[in-house]
Amino acid sequence: MTPRHVTGLGIACALGTGAEAFFRGLADAKRLSALPPSAIASFDVSKYPDARIVEVPDFDATKYLGDKGLRTLDRLTKLLVVAARLCLHDAGFKKDNQWVALAPEQVGVVCSNAYGSLEAITELDRVAKLEDARYINPAKFPNTVSNSASGYVSIWENLRALNVSVSDGNCGGLDAVAAADIFLESARADAILTGGGEAMSEALFLAFQKLGVLGPVTGTADRTATGTVTNDTRLGEAAVFLALEVPEVSKARNARVLAEVVGYGTAFFAPEESPLVFPSREATRRAITSALVDAQLAASDVDLVVSSVAGLPRFDDEELAAIRDVLTDTAVVAPKLAVGETLGAGGAVGMAASLAWLGGAPVAKDLVVGGGLPVKIRNVVVTSIGYYGNASAVVMRSPRA
Amino acid sequence: MNKANSEPDCRGSDSLVTLLRGAGARYTATVRVFITGVGVVSSIGLGKDAFFRALAEGTSGITPVEAFDVTNLGREFAGEAKGFRPKDHLTALEARRMGRCSQMALAAARMAIADAGLDGSALKGPRAAVVLGTTMGEADVLGDLDHAWIHKGAAGVRRAMIPKYGSTLLPIHIARAIGSEGAVLTLPAACAAGNYAIGYASDLIRSGKADIVVTGAAEMLQELQYSGFVRLAAMAPAKCQPFDLNRQGLILGEGAGILVLESEAHATRRKAATLLAEVGGHGMTCDAYHITRPHPDAAGSIGAMRQAIERSGITSDAIDFVNAHGTGTKANDAAESKVMREIFGDRKVPISSMKSMLGHCMGAASALEAIGCIMTLEKGLYPPTIGYETPDPECDVDVVANHARSGAHDIVLNNSLAFGGYNSVTCLAKPFKLPEPAPFSRRSAA
Repeated sequence: MTPRHVTGLGIACALGTGAEAFFRGLADAKRLSALPPSAIASFDVSKYPDARIVEVPDFDATKYLGDKGLRTLDRLTKLLVVAARLCLHDAGFKKDNQWVALAPEQVGVVCSNAYGSLEAITELDRVAKLEDARYINPAKFPNTVSNSASGYVSIWENLRALNVSVSDGNCGGLDAVAAADIFLESARADAILTGGGEAMSEALFLAFQKLGVLGPVTGTADRTATGTVTNDTRLGEAAVFLALEVPEVSKARNARVLAEVVGYGTAFFAPEESPLVFPSREATRRAITSALVDAQLAASDVDLVVSSVAGLPRFDDEELAAIRDVLTDTAVVAPKLAVGETLGAGGAVGMAASLAWLGGAPVAKDLVVGGGLPVKIRNVVVTSIGYYGNASAVVMRSPRA
Repeated sequence: MNKANSEPDCRGSDSLVTLLRGAGARYTATVRVFITGVGVVSSIGLGKDAFFRALAEGTSGITPVEAFDVTNLGREFAGEAKGFRPKDHLTALEARRMGRCSQMALAAARMAIADAGLDGSALKGPRAAVVLGTTMGEADVLGDLDHAWIHKGAAGVRRAMIPKYGSTLLPIHIARAIGSEGAVLTLPAACAAGNYAIGYASDLIRSGKADIVVTGAAEMLQELQYSGFVRLAAMAPAKCQPFDLNRQGLILGEGAGILVLESEAHATRRKAATLLAEVGGHGMTCDAYHITRPHPDAAGSIGAMRQAIERSGITSDAIDFVNAHGTGTKANDAAESKVMREIFGDRKVPISSMKSMLGHCMGAASALEAIGCIMTLEKGLYPPTIGYETPDPECDVDVVANHARSGAHDIVLNNSLAFGGYNSVTCLAKPFKLPEPAPFSRRSAA
């Protein structure tokens, strides 16, 4: 792919809201499995005393967006709009919420999300079932539509070039990069806020708890002792946008470049006899290989792999094996161990963390799940393994590489 | 930096070499993209032939809702695909694994692949991708899970049902069934999702990242959505009358429209390919105005149509017919008429809304309507807007009223708008009627 400049970051996740807070939190990140449970605001968690979940701490959208217009917005929308606003300011497109570089018609949005606003859907379903469908709040109904949160980002921030919502489960955050690359290359926009969001809700938590994937997985030995990964997944939430720009545009406006995105690969591989939920080592291996070729890099050029390892052995083991198939002894880190499984936002969280490490920030030891850390990090591969045989990878490099 | 690319380990995969052909593409080629097969699940027929026949005859698929109880809602009609029986198209295991939305999508995909004359192996490997659009995806699965939770508590939720939910799954199920190993992506672009998917699929091919893409969109009729549109006061009581003075709103529908897109080189290589239509330019903008209402100035919508025309390398004079988004709501049809005036000036280009027959199939709408456009390109027939009775001065457009009309049929536009301020227009043409496409890259173009 043609290199894209990353010129800004907006993020809200368990490590903090805003690039600075996130980078600070990342530098000192601890595995969630080693921390006491944190406060949960998105639903009444008292019914679930041992809930293995983590939220954006003290998230208050009014702090960033003001008091008006928030009443009917769901949590996912608020998180994404906040991340977008922070990103636009971090990239220098806006100052004090006014455009100072580029114009609304030049800036677009590509936003990944895996499960939509379950909060909105279940709330309206409850009204319909327990009262009457005639009492559904029409102002909240649009929140049930999958692209609603992404659409609100454009409405709140006046981004008119295009708005594209993508969904590929855990891989969507990286697939958003592929879509943004195509749209930038074909001159549909000069800059695109690229990333994704996933919000905590009772329904999402219940689904994952019911699947038996949160907390220590029954019957699986704790693998902390092996020095790699725990078997203790926490469900998280996050909203992340990176400002991707055409280099000619970012250079012309003398923008600060945090990193370059230089390669992308994706693959699907699920043998006929495999179950529907299937971690695909082969797809992951192909995605990484393809991303490296796209970036015109050799395996030995890669200094760090930012994986989607989240504490779920069945998937983590396949992902790590695929990484080792291609990148034999490269250091592997797992930011999800500190922010939780953030699903459709996960790949974007990995890219956000990569910005810090490509910028020279130290890697917190708690996040390392394999290999020895290099002295200098110039090239990073970010990986995501999906639940259904899908996988994607993105290559980022330091602007000083 | 520009090292030899031999170092990544390629052991154990014959298809990796093929895969890597697309990686590192530098967007220099100009590639024509063709539609070579289509499949349809709709309220007016299953399969291309039945669908084309019904469109040409102005058949209405609007009937009383049977899928759920609408007694208290004050509305009772929809375009349900009542003739669709999963077991006619899917194995028992496939049907069990997926919700109705994916079932319709996979059934339509199989029809499209058969229509394209592709054999079982043609879609295998990493150069084949699946890109689908939808609004809500497996809404029935979530509805069932939710209802179990509401009425029986968490203990009543069946664990085995949970992995069946997620719009992510639509292309996954198809990829599994056909053996494709390239990108699998869902574009949840609400009521413009079909056009978004077709446009993105075309971009994948034009950018050299895929040779063949199964694309389109699917949507199922579901209780919460139906109730929501009623509460938005957007639903007409009995019939959908786009552009009519007395139009009262939309009527929901469901279905799946799937298309096989191929690069010219790929289609030419295999002898069995018939070029049904060429995919021209795709326009895409965002109103950034209101979550449900179109911008009253229609600037975004005008911009999207302009893009589709310019990216096709033509001017508006070349357009023979416009398939309208045409929902039958006051705001939509007025805004769309404004777009027509702005783009075509005094020239009255025939316009029609298939939603008068199909109902508004939400995410699937513009995919089904793209297939309807192929009928126009193939047979020279503009599908009618049925139920059109009284012209509306605010909608001063040449509506193809009540009966199909013959006319010029080289190049058409498929218009779609959606919640979130999404605007998307695709240009479709008879093969080779469009100029050679411009290079994909902005640098090449410059």
